[in-house]
Amino acid sequence: MISRRYFLGASSAALAAELFGAAPGSKSPNPALEKLAAVALQEARKLKATYCDIRINRYHDQSVGIRLSPERGTGKTLEVPNVSDTESFGFGVRVIVDGAWGFAASPIVTSAEIVRMTAEAVTVARANASITKQRVILAPVKAYRDRWTSPFERNPFDVPIAEKLELLREATGEAKKNRRVFNSLGTLNFHSEDKYFASSEGSSIQQLIVQSFAILNATAVDISKGLSRSRMYVPPPLSVGYEFVPQMNLKENAQRIREEVLEHLAAPAVKPGKKDLVLMPSHLFLTIHESIGHSTELDRALGYEANYAGTSFLTLDKLGKQRIGTDIVNIFGDRTTEKGLATVAYDDDGVKTSRFPIIENGIFTHYQTIRDQAHLIGEKESRGCCYADSWSSVPFQRMPNVSLEPGKPETTLEDLISGVDDGILIEGRGSYSIDQQRYNFQFGGDAFWEIKGGKKRGMVSQVAYQSRTTDFWQSCDSIANRSYWQMYGSNRDGKGEPPQINAVSHGCSPARFRQVNVIQTD
Amino acid sequence: MLTREQAQRLSEKILAFSKFPDCAVSIRESEDAFIRFANNGVTTSGFTNTRSVVISSTRDQKTGTAQINDLDDAALQKAVARSEVLAAISPPNQEYVEPIGPQKYAQTSNWDEETSRARSPILVPQVKAVIDTAASKGLVAAGLFNRAAEISSIANKRGNFGYQRATDAEFSTTVRAADGSSSGWSSHSAVRIGEIKGADLAGRAVEKCLKWKKPVRLEPGKYTVVLEPAAVADLVEALGFGFSARSAEEGRSFLAKKGGGTQLGEKMFPEIVTLRSAPDDVRFPTALWSQGGLPERANTWIQNGVVKSLAYDRYWAMKTGKEPSGGFSHLILDGTSATLADLIKATERGLLVTRFWYIRTVNPQTLQLTGLTRDGLFLIENGVVTQPVVNFRFNESPVRLLQNITRLGTAQRIVGSEGAGMIAPPVQASNFTFSSVSDAV
Repeated sequence: MISRRYFLGASSAALAAELFGAAPGSKSPNPALEKLAAVALQEARKLKATYCDIRINRYHDQSVGIRLSPERGTGKTLEVPNVSDTESFGFGVRVIVDGAWGFAASPIVTSAEIVRMTAEAVTVARANASITKQRVILAPVKAYRDRWTSPFERNPFDVPIAEKLELLREATGEAKKNRRVFNSLGTLNFHSEDKYFASSEGSSIQQLIVQSFAILNATAVDISKGLSRSRMYVPPPLSVGYEFVPQMNLKENAQRIREEVLEHLAAPAVKPGKKDLVLMPSHLFLTIHESIGHSTELDRALGYEANYAGTSFLTLDKLGKQRIGTDIVNIFGDRTTEKGLATVAYDDDGVKTSRFPIIENGIFTHYQTIRDQAHLIGEKESRGCCYADSWSSVPFQRMPNVSLEPGKPETTLEDLISGVDDGILIEGRGSYSIDQQRYNFQFGGDAFWEIKGGKKRGMVSQVAYQSRTTDFWQSCDSIANRSYWQMYGSNRDGKGEPPQINAVSHGCSPARFRQVNVIQTD
Repeated sequence: MLTREQAQRLSEKILAFSKFPDCAVSIRESEDAFIRFANNGVTTSGFTNTRSVVISSTRDQKTGTAQINDLDDAALQKAVARSEVLAAISPPNQEYVEPIGPQKYAQTSNWDEETSRARSPILVPQVKAVIDTAASKGLVAAGLFNRAAEISSIANKRGNFGYQRATDAEFSTTVRAADGSSSGWSSHSAVRIGEIKGADLAGRAVEKCLKWKKPVRLEPGKYTVVLEPAAVADLVEALGFGFSARSAEEGRSFLAKKGGGTQLGEKMFPEIVTLRSAPDDVRFPTALWSQGGLPERANTWIQNGVVKSLAYDRYWAMKTGKEPSGGFSHLILDGTSATLADLIKATERGLLVTRFWYIRTVNPQTLQLTGLTRDGLFLIENGVVTQPVVNFRFNESPVRLLQNITRLGTAQRIVGSEGAGMIAPPVQASNFTFSSVSDAV
């Protein structure tokens, strides 16, 4: 039980530790959190708010990195470490008053401050109501009292930093072993979110999410030719614990990128023109994200993002009708996939998450939605896509994990390659740019191999492809089977004003696209 | 928010917790009030308070950093101890540079009391003015009006302390036809919220939106362009870190010479191009320090087309025997007294670009960028804007843009679509590469 001194404003770090601590196997939220939340809900009711929710959240981030660079003049390899630890704790209160939203947030987690900021949120809502024409209508939701934790075996924050540094030292050392590799960089990042949500509709939900990320990079320079090229290894970023880190095989992959960066440096420039593409999951995930993930967000289609991220070519009249891809293209939204970066049990509206189709047999069938949008397209419930990146951010519609179904059981990667006469195989993320309605895009990659006469050949460089979303997905003629299916993802997807980030996964198998416009970049 | 005295006392308290020879503390506190609107109505809005305390402890060239947002004594003491534990575990930084001693910081006028206190009574009428202006023409407005007040301070065990505060008001709006067939944008950024008038902002966006009707589809290729300041800023700001002396010497930037050496002293650009930093420029004053507390300083990067200086961080300066340079916040591309209208008038055939969007680096070495035009692309013929044009994707570098500049207009404070802002004029440039058509509106 929480002690009285916390309500009087004692150490909020100690408070956070007590609030989010749990008895092993506990399935209900910490009563201390529920008691704090009740302060906001009572105050909002007193001030005539018709709805209120409060999120009390704590975030923990740890970054460990090593860069190996040559010393100026001597060429001796110097080691530059980076070790940092970041915590953030606070609360945000959201209310509806006179049909309009209001929000206020503070890092001072005391009952007095919760009372003050609830009143601020009501003040904001009242002022907005004077220029709000459409009253907020929330789709119904059940009241839940639950506690959920993303699956992990070894909490990364309990693993000694020395172990992480040693792993990175070994990997960056491997990558830099060849003197022709100019520098190497390795980082391990860990993130956790302790989230608590309570609403005036009776929900009380505590969740913990733990995520692990790694990046290795090698750069090679040919001064005589004025060229600098890099090669990265980015293991799938997932909601997992430290148990996944040994499976990343950082040392073995460091050896591989050491060789591949030198091949990249010597690789001839691609000959531009229409070519077939075989896109690997480490690359295709971001193409799915940009072209399908963002275009099927309902808030974009409704114009809510018109001033920043943009709208969507998938306007409301296209729902259920627009052909996006060939019949083999099936894409779904899912915040329940184990280890997905956007996977939670409940979203930031308190809606239980689910899996739902977005593209079925090539046709656009469903938007991503949240509670205050569902009625605008005649839907009865939210699809659970509400998220705020901090206690201090306003929750709004963010992307769930959006993934491509695998192809037929008999289709292998070799089948995809053997069916290409003149094409490119692309791995990894490069430069990604797409217009504000998600029609026209230009995507690069991290590494490119020529495919000639059905065989994967040597590396080429300076590759990007340009297409339109619908042309591109309608050129997809083959997808490899489930055994190749992998989730990659991004933890810094930007959207909204003031801008927020989101972490999201996209699963897919390698896929083939016919006659896409390949350009030669600088 | 913390006053100078409070920030100094708090910093001293944190440093007193330190057991290591070196410790640095930076404190940031901010308060934001904002209204976001779309479809001529408010969508989300809020009032938020945030803060952070970053503590870096160093011993034997080994540094650990801990960040929290709690000002409680016990939490601060624990964070100092945590940074010391991290430092003890960390290997020595072989590019270590000693902390700085006491510095003298300039004073800039980045604070406005009215802006620091502005809430709904000030924000709502300006948002209403935008919505009403758009609605009166049958158009639909979306946008964000945000005001921020922020303090930050730095302190270390070598006796340095600095404190600064700043207010910032930014209002941008996109006005679209109800059927989504056209779009116009405008923005205004200022230290003083009183300078921002919703009706003026809406007027410019509405004008763009109404003019962009039934656009013509042109072939991709190289065009003469007249770029408005927002379009210039988002490209030229990408040059910033390209001036790093280290990247140039190591052969990793556009300022590296084939075979070794740098372009320092070379005339890479036309005579009319001068690019510099001036932290105390009243049009857009910058932060008082960068690089761990070094006072920001004026620097000329390109003078009359010649690469005048390279940027040295403290480590590279130490290795090369140079003075460390300041940061790149708020670059200035010097302009002339010419207006945007003068540039248009001086263009025989070209494209007028309102702003760019989704700008990404294609090649970090050459700084080739890709992105798209958005919210107002028009054809100029014989000195007159004749018709709207369907949007284009570009593949171009700010290096080539500066090399191809033919005319400059009057420089102004501008925050574009994606950058932090700079002082930029509208420019006329030749041979700008548009690589494909975008149907987006």
